Amino acid sequence: MKDRFTIRKCILSILCCLGVVACAQAQEFRFTTSVSSNTVSQDEPFQIQFMLENGVNIASFTPPSFKDFEVLQGPSQMQGQSIFNGKRSEYIALSYVLQPKRVGNFTIPGAQARVNGSLVKSNPVLIEVRKGNAQAQAPQATPPPVGHRDRSSGGEELPEGVLRKGEDINAKLKKNIFLKVDVDKTDLYEGDQLTVTYKLYTRLPTNSSVTKVPAFKGFSAKDIELPNPPQATEERINGIPFKVFTIRKTLLFPLQSGTLDLDPVEVNNEVRLVKLVSGKQSKAKDQFDDFFNDPAFKDPFFDDFFNRPEVEYEDVPYKIQSTPIKVNVKPLPAEGKPASFNGAVGHFNMTATVDKTKLSTDDALTLKVTISGQGNVNLLNSPKVEVPTGFEKYDPKTTDDIEKNSNPLTGSRQFEYVLMPQEAGQHTIPAVEFSYFDPSANSYKTLRSEPFVINITQGKRIKEDKHDFSVGKNELVKIDTGLHKWSKKQGWLITSAWFYILLLLPLLIAGGLILYKRKQDYNITNAALLKHRYANKVALKRLELAARYLKEGKDKSFYEETSRAVWGYLSHKLKIPFADLSKQLVQEKLSARQINGSNTSDLFELIDNCEMALYAPSHNNNKMQGTYTQAVNIITNLEDALKN
Amino acid sequence: MLNTKNIKPFFFIISLFAGLIAGQATQAQALIPQQRFDAANNLYQQNKFTEAAAAYQELMDEGYTQKMLYFNAGNAYYKAGKNGSAIYSYEKALQLAPNDAVIKHNLELANQKVNGYVEELPLVFFQQWWQQLSLLHSPNGWATGAILLFWLLTAGVLLNTFLPGWKNKFLRWGNYTLGTLFVLYLIFSISTYFAANDHSTGIVMHSNIRTKTAPDDNSRDSFEVQEGMKVHVSDATKDYCKIALADGKTGWISCAYIKRL
Repeated sequence: MKDRFTIRKCILSILCCLGVVACAQAQEFRFTTSVSSNTVSQDEPFQIQFMLENGVNIASFTPPSFKDFEVLQGPSQMQGQSIFNGKRSEYIALSYVLQPKRVGNFTIPGAQARVNGSLVKSNPVLIEVRKGNAQAQAPQATPPPVGHRDRSSGGEELPEGVLRKGEDINAKLKKNIFLKVDVDKTDLYEGDQLTVTYKLYTRLPTNSSVTKVPAFKGFSAKDIELPNPPQATEERINGIPFKVFTIRKTLLFPLQSGTLDLDPVEVNNEVRLVKLVSGKQSKAKDQFDDFFNDPAFKDPFFDDFFNRPEVEYEDVPYKIQSTPIKVNVKPLPAEGKPASFNGAVGHFNMTATVDKTKLSTDDALTLKVTISGQGNVNLLNSPKVEVPTGFEKYDPKTTDDIEKNSNPLTGSRQFEYVLMPQEAGQHTIPAVEFSYFDPSANSYKTLRSEPFVINITQGKRIKEDKHDFSVGKNELVKIDTGLHKWSKKQGWLITSAWFYILLLLPLLIAGGLILYKRKQDYNITNAALLKHRYANKVALKRLELAARYLKEGKDKSFYEETSRAVWGYLSHKLKIPFADLSKQLVQEKLSARQINGSNTSDLFELIDNCEMALYAPSHNNNKMQGTYTQAVNIITNLEDALKN
Repeated sequence: MLNTKNIKPFFFIISLFAGLIAGQATQAQALIPQQRFDAANNLYQQNKFTEAAAAYQELMDEGYTQKMLYFNAGNAYYKAGKNGSAIYSYEKALQLAPNDAVIKHNLELANQKVNGYVEELPLVFFQQWWQQLSLLHSPNGWATGAILLFWLLTAGVLLNTFLPGWKNKFLRWGNYTLGTLFVLYLIFSISTYFAANDHSTGIVMHSNIRTKTAPDDNSRDSFEVQEGMKVHVSDATKDYCKIALADGKTGWISCAYIKRL
């Protein structure tokens, strides 16, 4: 509150409109007079400034007399230092705002000052006053309470920053700070350009920051670069001048149709208001005070310069929001839409070029399609290029060249297609077609290039490929065109019945053979079995025959028959072939069957008897009878023993 | 005497004529597919790839399973930009001739066009041996061999058992060899049959298909498969097939997107 210098400094900096006091550069002593304009109209106020630079020990300062001019304001004193190129300089300046009284040429003599004991004089100035016109007068009259205090050259003062007694802060803020959204159109086609500008209007010194920026949903946005720091322009609304700051300027391209909202922007302001404090009375302190003791100089700034502690300042936060805006986006007309249309809206030109028309299959061909003009250049899609077979096409490379800060958006987009010829011969690339919608003409337009005829000669690489595909790794091996045996897919042998039948057949044959052999074997074994079974009966039959010979007295026949009966019995029973029969073998066989003792000894005794009787015949009826009984007994006994 | 002399050449002529007719008939039958094949080849050489592919496909649909038919169809599909069908045809050709370098080369080219293609692991050496060996005969050849060997084996065993005079160690070892060979041929005829009728691999025929984590429409999306990817179908419901890629990723996609090999 005490530091008035800071107040002034703040006000100066906040509105970015620094005063004119930037001329002190020299280090040597200088005393100059300067005017804002040498040629003025009669009703136009102008400023005159006397500047004393690097003055030491200033004793007095006498301004000249302004006899042909009316002093509207002043003197106002400024004091300051500047450091330029490392050298420090000080200055004191005194300025007046004057208005000519008459038309004509006038010379204002220089001011006098006593510096370091000597009297110095500034240069005189020549002012040419012309007749003022009525137009220039009109705006001057409109702001009556503050008009006379405007300093045309400085702009450092905004008189609205003073809060007068009884004034409502909010009403004042509302009247003097607001946001405005400018839209160049609110009814447009999808893809057409829309320029939106968010502006801050103010008459008060304020420190503003944007807290919410619009998102532009449903649009493709391209911001226009604004100068930094922002620069104010002046605009009059109802005759009242406002400082206007552009917050954001954006080119919008709607991506969808319907009613789209433009989000509001939100700005936080710190408004510095100066209050007049009524209780305090100004006191004479300054050397100029007595001189200019005029109620007109009760201006707070004036007071400030003269170190009068009669004002207060207040920082008032004030949040403002712009009004949201609705934009009606129409869909592009469906009728007459060309097939090649893919979203371009505006006004465009197209050029299509190929870099060569004769090449070999080893080379690559570049097709460049450039679309330039005004409209949604940044959203252009690649035009469809119908490449004939025999070319391999790659995705286009896109290069943009958009003019910076152009409005409407102007520029060009280049699509570069690389085409690889695959086969030799003359090929024609059909014309490239590009369509756009012209909103000003409200119709679709189609651009078409010339078709390109390309001659392709056979390159070296492909020939090698034909012979050795491992070299040309990226070439297909050519198709097989020979003669072939044609057969439809055969059935599966393994799932057919034949497979199993043929596998089973040898098994069946083998089985039959085995059965046959078995039967044969069986028959052979069966004969032996019968002999064995009927051995007893055969033996007994032979013994019966022997008994008949006994009765008849035929000794030799008797013994023969008895011997045969015994041996035959043994042969059948013990399964010894007749030729192999011997006493020893019989004994072995019998002992194998565990038949020993009396049976065996009796048997051998009988056999011995028969043999002896055959080779040394002696007729003995009793002995023959005994032999017969013995043979019957032995056979019966053996039969019993062999059964077990 | 005269009659019999005349009759003989008469029969001879008849049989010759019949033979000629039969020969012509078989020749005509063979010529039709060859002519159509040549016509398709001409279309291909005139750069009418789509038409050529359609002509090859017609032949394949009729049941012709020649290696070069699949191969040419693969080329035509490749040039026509139908990568899925191209890979399918090459794989089919490769099934008939697994070691054909030309088919392998073109298949590799087609696979290069597949986004996110995962190379299959090469076969282990004994698998390669097995594959080489199984190519020695056609599947039916193996089966025929098995039958012949079985006949010989049976004959050998019968000789060995029933004719004592033939009994010697050479015949016995011969029988052992025949037995081993028979078992081998039988195994190969079975394995080639199952290998040829194994439809557990397939080619994805559509692009940008999101696989699901479970076989229903509402389940979460998993990775993406592209046209031409070779997948292993490990499980299937009515509509969905569980696929496994060569890198081990598994997911469910609609069976309609897969063409089984």
